[in-house]
Amino acid sequence: MFSNHLISRREALRSSSAGFGMVALASLLAQNPSLRASEAKSDKPLAPKKPHHEPKAKRIIFVFMQGAIAQHDTFEYKPKLQQNDGKTGPIGGKLAASKFKFKQYGETGSWFSELLPNMAQHADKMCWLRGLHTDTPAHPQAVVQLHTGAANATLTRPSMGAWVLYGLGTENQDLPGYVTINPPANFGGAVNYGNAFLPAHFQGSRVDDKGYVPNLKPRLETQLQRSQIDYLQSLNRAFAERPDAPDAVEGIIESFELAFRMQGAVPEILDFKDEAESTIDAYGINNPATASFGRQCLMARRLSEAGVRFVEICQPGWDHHNNLHNGLIDRCGSIDQPVAALLADLEQRGMLDETLVLFGSEFGRQPTTQGEDGRDHNITGYPMFLVGAGVKPGYTHGQSDEYGVHAVEGRMHTNDLHATLLHLLGLNHEWLTYPYAGRDFRLTDVAGTVAQEILA
Amino acid sequence: MTPSIATENRQRGIAAKLCGSLAAGVLLLGSIAVTQGADVDEQAEHEFFETKIRPLLVSRCYACHSAETKPAGDLRVDDYNGLLRGGKSGPGVVPGDDKASLLLVRILEKNESKRMPQDGEPLTEEEIADLVRWVQAGAKWPASAEPVYEAEDLSDLYADLRSDHWAFQPLAAAAIPQVAQADWPRDDIDRFVLAGLEAAGLSPVADADRETLLRRVTFDLTGLPPTEAEIEAFLADSSENAFETVVDRLLASKEFGERWGRQWLDVARYGESTGPSRNIPYPHAWRYRNYVIESVNRDVPINRFIQEQIAGDLIADQSEGISNEERDRLLTATGFLALGVKDVNQRFKIRFEMDNIDEQIDAVTRGVLGLTVSCARCHDHKFDPIPTADYYALAGIFASTENAAGVRNKMGGSGLDYYNPESLIRLSIELPPPSEEEVRRLEEKVRETKAAWDAIRGTPEGLAKRPNGQPVQRRFRLAWEEAQAELLALTDPAARGAVVHGVREAAEIADTAIRYRGEAEKLGEVVPRGYLTAFEVPDAQPINRQQSGRLELAQWLTSDLNPLSPRVAANLIWQNLFGTGLVSTADNFGNSGASPSNPELLDFVAQRLIDGGWSRKTLIRQLVLSRTYRLSAVATEDHLRIDPANRLLGRHTPRRLTSDELRDAVLAVSGMLDRTPAEGTASSELRMVEMRDNGDEAKAVHAHSDASTRRSVYLPLVRGVTPRALECFDPAEQTLVTVKRDATTVPSQALFLLNSDFVKQQAQQLTQSILELPAADDVQRVQATYRRAFGRAASEQEVNLALSFIESFQSLYAQQAAANANETAAVGKGSAQSQEYQFVSTRANAESYKLAAWEAWHQSLLAAAEFRFIR
Repeated sequence: MFSNHLISRREALRSSSAGFGMVALASLLAQNPSLRASEAKSDKPLAPKKPHHEPKAKRIIFVFMQGAIAQHDTFEYKPKLQQNDGKTGPIGGKLAASKFKFKQYGETGSWFSELLPNMAQHADKMCWLRGLHTDTPAHPQAVVQLHTGAANATLTRPSMGAWVLYGLGTENQDLPGYVTINPPANFGGAVNYGNAFLPAHFQGSRVDDKGYVPNLKPRLETQLQRSQIDYLQSLNRAFAERPDAPDAVEGIIESFELAFRMQGAVPEILDFKDEAESTIDAYGINNPATASFGRQCLMARRLSEAGVRFVEICQPGWDHHNNLHNGLIDRCGSIDQPVAALLADLEQRGMLDETLVLFGSEFGRQPTTQGEDGRDHNITGYPMFLVGAGVKPGYTHGQSDEYGVHAVEGRMHTNDLHATLLHLLGLNHEWLTYPYAGRDFRLTDVAGTVAQEILA
Repeated sequence: MTPSIATENRQRGIAAKLCGSLAAGVLLLGSIAVTQGADVDEQAEHEFFETKIRPLLVSRCYACHSAETKPAGDLRVDDYNGLLRGGKSGPGVVPGDDKASLLLVRILEKNESKRMPQDGEPLTEEEIADLVRWVQAGAKWPASAEPVYEAEDLSDLYADLRSDHWAFQPLAAAAIPQVAQADWPRDDIDRFVLAGLEAAGLSPVADADRETLLRRVTFDLTGLPPTEAEIEAFLADSSENAFETVVDRLLASKEFGERWGRQWLDVARYGESTGPSRNIPYPHAWRYRNYVIESVNRDVPINRFIQEQIAGDLIADQSEGISNEERDRLLTATGFLALGVKDVNQRFKIRFEMDNIDEQIDAVTRGVLGLTVSCARCHDHKFDPIPTADYYALAGIFASTENAAGVRNKMGGSGLDYYNPESLIRLSIELPPPSEEEVRRLEEKVRETKAAWDAIRGTPEGLAKRPNGQPVQRRFRLAWEEAQAELLALTDPAARGAVVHGVREAAEIADTAIRYRGEAEKLGEVVPRGYLTAFEVPDAQPINRQQSGRLELAQWLTSDLNPLSPRVAANLIWQNLFGTGLVSTADNFGNSGASPSNPELLDFVAQRLIDGGWSRKTLIRQLVLSRTYRLSAVATEDHLRIDPANRLLGRHTPRRLTSDELRDAVLAVSGMLDRTPAEGTASSELRMVEMRDNGDEAKAVHAHSDASTRRSVYLPLVRGVTPRALECFDPAEQTLVTVKRDATTVPSQALFLLNSDFVKQQAQQLTQSILELPAADDVQRVQATYRRAFGRAASEQEVNLALSFIESFQSLYAQQAAANANETAAVGKGSAQSQEYQFVSTRANAESYKLAAWEAWHQSLLAAAEFRFIR
C-alpha cells in the first residue's frame, strides 16, 4: 500500500504545504493586485490570496509603543483617580492622579492630556479598545505575546505579520510584504517578526529608520550587474532545461529578477526626495525631537501606499517605573506630531479606506504610584486604538473600572485583538492554520473572539 | 488557496481548536468542589476566608503580590501554594502559627519602611485581628475555586490506537519481495523498492553518471563538494568496487561527523543561549557540540548515543574504573537536556521549572520517539493515546533532575542576576584554587559596594540626574556589578576549569503531580514516575525509585524492542539520503503524522539498524551502496505522471544544499575552507548576562562569524544572532526541534549572492586561485572552476559562453571605468554620487579589468542554481 494511491486529505494538504519549500517565487512577477488565490497556484506563496470573507481592510500599520505607555497620563481620563490622589487604590497601593491636564476633543468629546495635543485632533477618527488585558506583566513575554499570540517562550510561534502574509500574500511583488522598522533588539528580538515554523517567505523584513536593508546595495554599476545577471540567468535556464532539474529552478530565476528590481524599488520607497517639504515638516522630520519617529511614520505611509501588507513601526522607552513625568514629556513629544501627521496624511490620500492603523503597547500601567514618580505594569485593563479601514470612527469599545485597573466591559484578551485584526483583513482566525509538530497552529492559539461591536 | 484546500483548512481549523482547547467535547463540571463533603467547621472557615480574608488580600496586597502584577520579593498571595512557599524571605504563612507567618510579621512591623502594605494606609486593627484568627485556625484556603474540568473519555479511542496504530506495533519481519527485474537489485533494500515500482507499473530509471553520483555522495556524507583530485581519482578508478572505496573514505573522514553531527544538532534544537525573552549565552555549549561530532565520527551506536545524552551522568556513576576523560565525555553529553530555550525572566520558579521540563520532554519525545508528547501537558492527547498522566509520569523523571544550565529565573533582573555558577556541571579539568586572601578582599568589596547601592537606590539623591542625564545611583549599581564580576572571575567554576551545561540528579527525587490545564500551580493527583503507555516495550525495567529514573528511561527509549526509536532513527537517516523519509513527518509518527510510504521497507531498515548494533555508519553504508541510491534524477513521463512526488523512489530526488553546506561549499571551492575543528566559539567568550540582538556582544559574535573560514557547524550559534552567511538559506530555527530543513526561495538569497561581502570575497579568492594555476590556459581555467563548483566538466558550449562573457564583461568594465573617470573629473572628487557608485573606477588598468571580469564570472557560478543543488 503506497500513499500515492490512497492519498488522504491530510496528506494532500501536508504535501502542498511542504511544497511551498520546493517551489518558489514564480508569483513574484505577478503584478496584478486583483489576482485571486483561486486563480493563483499554490506554488506562489506571496501572490495575493483570496481571503476567507470580504475584507474590510487590506493592510495594517502597527504603531508599537514598546515599554507600555502610561494611559492614565495620556488618553485614559479617570475623574475618580483625579479626586482621590494619595488614597489607597482598589488593589492596594497609593493612587497617583495624573499631573497632566486633560481636556475633551472633537465631537466625540474624547479626553486627551496635554501631552498629545496633535493626536487629539484626530479623536473623532479613533476607535478605542479600552478593555484589553493580557497574561504576563513582564515585557519580554508580553511583547512576544502581542506579536505572536503566545507568551510561552519555549515554543516559538510565527508573528502576526507572518500569519497575515501567509493568509493573504502581498500586493506589490517588488517589495517585501511585511516590513518592520526599528524592531526591539531584545524582548524576543527577531521572534517578534519571525516566521517560526511557517516557511521563510513570510518572515518580516527588518529595516532601520535610515532605510538600511542587508545586501540591498548593488556592488556593480547597473549595466555591469545586469550583464552579470543575464549570464547567470542563462546558466540557470540551461540548468532548468535539464531533465533532472529540480522544480525550484524557475523560482530561483524569478528571485534574481526580483532582487534586481528590489535594489531600485526599495531605496526609492524609503527615500523622501519626492515628498513636499511641507510633508517632511508635517511629520517633524526636520526637528531632532521627532525626526526618528517621523521618518518611521513617513516610511510606513510610503510602504503601505506601495501595497506592503503589514508594516510595523516602533518607539521604545515607555517603561516609566521612575522618571514618569519628564519621561512622558520626552516620549510623547517624540511621537505626537509624527503619528498625527501619519493619520492626517493617510486620510488626505484616501488611504484610510483600505489601511488600518493600530496604536498601542504590550500592556498598560497602574493608576497607583511606584516610588516617587513612576507607575508599574498593568495587564488587567488598558487601551489601544484603531483608525481607518473597517472600524467605527469615534467609537469606544469596552472600559476599565473607575480607576483604570481592571477591564470591566468589552474585555479583549490579546487573542481577541488578533482575531479581530484578522477578521478585518478578511481572515477567519480559526481557519488560518498551519500544521506543525502534529497539530494545527493558529495565531490565536485556541481562543479568540472577534469584537463585532467595533466593525463599521 | 484553492477552494478544496480552503475547505480543508476550515476543518483543520476546527481540529486545531479541539486540540488544546478544553471547550469542545469536554464536560465542564463547573461546581466549586468546596462544600461537598466538608464538615460544618471547615465550611465556616471557608466562609470566613471568602468574606474577610480574600477581599483583604485582593484590596491591600494584590497591587504588588499577585500573578497579574509583580510579585515583589517573589511573594504572591493570590495562590495558596505561593503564600505557603513564600518569597525570598521565607514562607508567607505557616498555618496555625501567626508568629512564624511573615505575612503578619511584616504587617505588624514597627519600622515603617518595612511595614506592609508599603503604599497606602496601614491595615486596621480589625483587619489584622481577622488575619491572625485565620492563620491560627490553620489558614484554611478553599480548594481550587477554578472550575474543575473532566477530560473527555478517550479510553476507547486510546485502546483502538494502542492496538491498531502502525507505529505502536512491534517491527514486523516482512519476506523479501520477489521482483521481475531480478538483475537490478544490489541489496534487499532495492528489492523492496523495486517491488513497489513494479506494482505501480514503473521501472527504476538509469543509474546516475559517475560525476553526479560522486558529488551527491560526497555532499550527503560530508556536507562538502568533492575536490578536483577526488573527482579525477574516482573517474580513473575502473575497479568493481570504486564506489565502495569512495564511500569508505567518506565514512572515515572527520567531515562525516560534522555533517551528520549537524543533523543531530538540528534535532537537539542546539543553540548557545537561552533565546527569546532574555537572551543569556551558554558559553560552554560548544563542548556538547563537539561531543556530538566526535561521537558520530567514532560511530557511537545510536542507542548508546541517546542514552548518554539523557543519562550520561548516571552511566558514568555506574561504570567502574572509568577514566576522567570518559566521565567528562558522558557529563558533556547531558547538554542535550540543558541547552534548550529558557524563559529566565519567568517570575515563578515552579513555572520556570515546568516550562523547562516541557521543553525537555518535547525534545526527547519528538527527537527519539517521533511523538508529540508535549500536547499532553494540558489535556489528554487528542490524536495519540497519551493521557496527561503519562506526561506527568515523564515529568516526574525530569523534575527529579536538576537542569544545570547555569541560569536561574528572575523577573526583571540585570547583570549577573541570571547566572547561577553552582548549577553548572564541573568536568575533571581543574586549575589551582585562587588565593583565599584575594577572595576575601573581593568579597568585602562586593559587600561594600552593595551596601552603598542599597543605601542610595531609589532615594531622591540617587534618582537625581547628573549632567549626562543618567541618575546619580547608576554609578553605584555599576560599581557593585563590577565588584561581583571581579569576584566571579576569580571564583567562578567556569573560570577555574572546564564546566558544561548539563543535568544531574536533583536534590529531591520525587514523583510529580498532574497540573490542571498545564498550569504549574494547579496541582492534581501525583503520578508515579514511569513511561508512556501508548506502546509496549517488553524488556522495560522499572524506574529506580532512589534515582530520577533517567537511566531506565534512556534504556526504555532505546530498547531493541521499542517500536518507535529504531524506526525514527532509521527514518531520519533515510531522509538525509533520499530527501524525504519513508515517514514524511519525521518527528511525528503518531496518528496525526503521515503513514509510511513503504511500511515493510521501513521495518526492514529499522531492523537492519538494530542488527548492525545501532551503527549509524553501517546503515548509511548499506543505503548509499544500494542501487536505489545510485539512480539518476532524470524522470520519465510515466514517473512524473504515476508518482509525481517520487514516493516510490524510481528516481533520485534532487535536494538544495542546506545553509551550512552552501557556505562550506563556497569556502571549499574558493580554497579558503579551514578544515580544523574549533575548540569553543566566539560565544564561549561571553559572560552569562543578557545580550541584545544589536549590542556589542552580538556585534562581536557577528564579526567572528563573518571572518571565520571554519566549517559552519563551528560558527557561534547564539539564538537570535544567526550568522549572516547562513541566515538567508533556511538555517535550523534554533529554538525548535528541527528534523528537516526548509528549502525556500526568497529574494534575500539572490541579494546575498549578488551583493554580500562574503560572496564577493570568496569570488575574489576563487579568482586568485584559478588565475594562479600553473601552466593553464583560459579553457583549462574554466574547466577547473566547473569541476570545483559543479563537480563536472564544462561542455564546449559552456566554455565558449564563459569566455565570451568574461571578454564582454571586461570591455564593458573598461567603458564604465572611462565613463566614471570623466564623471569624476566633471563632478569633482568626493561628491556623493561618485562615492556611491565608485565600484569600477577604483580599478585602473587592463589587468584589473580582467580580474574584475573573472571575479564576476566566478561569482555567477557560485550564485547559479546548479551550485546549490545536488542531483
